[in-house]
Amino acid sequence: MSQQVKYLGSGFIVGILSGLLGVGGGIFLVPIMVTYFNIAQHSAQATSMAIVIPTALVSSMIYGFHGNIDVNLAINLTVGSILGASIGARLMKMIPAVRLKQLFALLLIVVGVRMVLT
Amino acid sequence: MITVLIIFSIGLSVGLLSGLLGIGGGVVLVPMLVLLLGVAQHTAQGISMLVIIPTSIVSVWIFYKEKLINYQAATYMAVGAVLGALISANFVQVVPASDLKHIFGIFVIFSGVRMLLGTRNK
Repeated sequence: MSQQVKYLGSGFIVGILSGLLGVGGGIFLVPIMVTYFNIAQHSAQATSMAIVIPTALVSSMIYGFHGNIDVNLAINLTVGSILGASIGARLMKMIPAVRLKQLFALLLIVVGVRMVLT
Repeated sequence: MITVLIIFSIGLSVGLLSGLLGIGGGVVLVPMLVLLLGVAQHTAQGISMLVIIPTSIVSVWIFYKEKLINYQAATYMAVGAVLGALISANFVQVVPASDLKHIFGIFVIFSGVRMLLGTRNK
């Protein structure tokens, strides 16, 4: 199977899962890229972020049709989140891959526990 | 004033975590909106989607300059993910998601523990 088909297929499965489970794709995308496609941790995280944009666009359109978005609050939150992202993304380059993996692993455990409890 | 400060702090911490770990940030944003601001769960998910878009654009711009993005993986996985999201968005009301969520929660915990143990050997 060609690499493109593998990427397409795993993206498809992640898309279905994240829609079904209500969690972002990044939780699945980063581990898949690192373990299955042998992409370095830093690069996997950056690539995951790029995949999140079109996915969030489509999802927010679907949510928008159902009339469930408080645009005002979203804009106010964005002020802080843009600032945070520009700090976080720059900070990420300075952190060694092992430490990033540990942080990501902790995130996975927290998200997993929340999924089990809710 | 306090509400404005809380909203700003929520946004800041979500953006920080998102850029640092390459995730959308919805995992953190949704519970914060529900618990701290009393937003309804479904509305919180919609807001989170909207906040994620400009936030991830900022990080991706920085990663693009650092040449960290694998374009082949990004393009094909994004196409697959969008198709998958479209399908599941239309079926999510039909499928009982709660059992599925518990099962996958255990799977996610397991991957986290495995990832954590993997860093110990190196």
